[in-house]
Amino acid sequence: MIYTKKSPWVLIIGVIMAGYAFLVQQGVLTGLMKMLHTSGHAGEMVTMGYIFGVIGIVVGLWQLVATPKEGSLDYYLSTVGGALLVLLCVFIVKYGAEPVFKLWGKASDAAIGWNFQTTLGLNYILLGIIVGMIVVNVFKIPAWAENGVRLSRLGLKSGVILLGALYSAAELRNLGGLSVVLIGFFVLGSVGMVLWLGRLRNIPNSMGGVLSAGMGVCGVSAAVASAPVVQAKSTEIAYTIGTILLWGVLMMFIFPPVGRALGMGYIQFGAWAGTGILNSAQVAAAALIYQPTGIETLKVAEIFNITRILFLPIIVIWLAVWYVQREAGAQKVNVGRVIFEKFPVFVLGFLLLFALSTTGIFAPAQHYKGKYFDNAIKESKLLTSEETSLLQSELGKVQREDQKAALERLIQNRKAMSIDHDTVLRGLANAKVLSKDANHVLKKAHSAVYHTAKRVKWFRTLIVWFFAFGLTGLGMQITFSSIKQAGGQPLFIGTVVGLTKAVGALIVIMLFVRETI
Amino acid sequence: MLKTRKILLASHGTDGARAAEKMALKLCASGTTLRHLVVVPDFWKGMMGDDWLNNASTQAAFGRYVEARLEDEVLQCIAKVRRQAEKRGIRYLPQVAFGKPSSCLLEEAHRGKVDLVVLGSQRPRGKQGLRSRMLTDDLLRRLGTPVLIAPYPNA
Repeated sequence: MIYTKKSPWVLIIGVIMAGYAFLVQQGVLTGLMKMLHTSGHAGEMVTMGYIFGVIGIVVGLWQLVATPKEGSLDYYLSTVGGALLVLLCVFIVKYGAEPVFKLWGKASDAAIGWNFQTTLGLNYILLGIIVGMIVVNVFKIPAWAENGVRLSRLGLKSGVILLGALYSAAELRNLGGLSVVLIGFFVLGSVGMVLWLGRLRNIPNSMGGVLSAGMGVCGVSAAVASAPVVQAKSTEIAYTIGTILLWGVLMMFIFPPVGRALGMGYIQFGAWAGTGILNSAQVAAAALIYQPTGIETLKVAEIFNITRILFLPIIVIWLAVWYVQREAGAQKVNVGRVIFEKFPVFVLGFLLLFALSTTGIFAPAQHYKGKYFDNAIKESKLLTSEETSLLQSELGKVQREDQKAALERLIQNRKAMSIDHDTVLRGLANAKVLSKDANHVLKKAHSAVYHTAKRVKWFRTLIVWFFAFGLTGLGMQITFSSIKQAGGQPLFIGTVVGLTKAVGALIVIMLFVRETI
Repeated sequence: MLKTRKILLASHGTDGARAAEKMALKLCASGTTLRHLVVVPDFWKGMMGDDWLNNASTQAAFGRYVEARLEDEVLQCIAKVRRQAEKRGIRYLPQVAFGKPSSCLLEEAHRGKVDLVVLGSQRPRGKQGLRSRMLTDDLLRRLGTPVLIAPYPNA
């Protein structure tokens, strides 16, 4: 089979990207970039534009001129067009739509006192998903791009693998423990609740099985993994996946504004999204919508995602046993085979990167020393008397004793004095207990003593690009025609269980989850 | 009087389509050709949704499973109508298509040069079922062939 579909579009996209990079490099777009406040991304625009522009031009020319032959080369090159289409959307959204929405948001704030852009979280991630959904539902994915759009899954997995390099052992231990407890409780609880409600409402076992996996574990991924095991009928699959997609998309829009309204910290929000949002793609999206300029929320949310996916083989085995006990003629499953087939291989990549990062391979050892013990720190890096006064005036807002002590110590010394001291102060900043200005002072204190290694910075940029690419591409795979299939008993049961899980997780997290990791 | 030598029956697994099957069989005299178009709606293409966590083997297993299920349903539908058609001496020509139901029907009606198209009516509000319409305004405008719409069962 020949996968390459001849089209001039790959070449055209390549020319657009390279041309854009050239214009930025020559300073032609400087005025526009200043107006949009995107000048800081100029280097990124040039690098990414040239790299992918050249790839597009070379592959586009090859596709137009050469006669493709069956084989791996044809298959891999056939994915370039779709991948470039997704990247072009990310370019447009990141460097065009998001800055414009930011300007409109500020204008609306000045006019009516409401910044709709920040409230609704209309950043490049959410806009990218929306653009992806518009492309697939209004224009359809062109045949030359279909193979490449599917690469978005690889993009997300690569992002998660790279993310492994950015966790400390303490973070992984603490977040892992928290996620096992929360996910364990809510996954098992919602699977059990769906099965119980299903029995009450007399739905077939196959429908109950596929719905419980989808609602309980990780949305569509779990439904895909469990449908063959519980021998779900086609209509049951359609109802279930429609319901999950509907809920996933709605939650992606609803969670970030609710999190902001409740003043949730990054860890709290990451934990809530990771537990309460059904679909794993939308967990990552919600985390990046909540915190577009950093990856702290994403780090928390992804640990929850990984925990969920690790629960998946267990849930599939449980449902298989449950189904066999209830249905005559149901096929028994091979437990070992299920574990082997359903185990998410990319998690091994994540663990490998984490293990490598602990050796210090990604950042020099002295990087972690920072300037905590440096007496020669510049005066300009220390907090000013106005800044310490501001912190002093807000000291009363801090409830936790350790955070209060850390803040007092900061006021006294005008800088963070140790890694632990800095960690507690970061937790306080993430908790958003203090005013915006005071949090800004805390960030200044952090950056005065700690700097991120260049390679780690590069990793972060790459991770954000992988997620932006992956989520925009996944947006191109969410069709309204499949969402429209939401209905029947799955919609009712899914609504009850989805709401219970989201609200229950919110209450538990607000009560018990602290801000330091 | 309309002479119906070639009838196109269009169905895609809904209750309305089953009513259309019955009506088409009743209309066919011995020797009539009944072309039966069974459409697998294209929304199935998006049924993998935004799954990205699974390994490729799990996604392939799901794809194969859904395809096998849909194929089984289509074959059952064809076998049922074929039995009835053979009993009545009707020349039965089944055709399976994947895509937008109305587009598939338009294409088949033009290709088969039929005298009459029989299809089911839309599902009444509140009635459970998959959302995939064959009967659309656009279809009626572009068909250019007489259309008979079977009433929805127990509507």
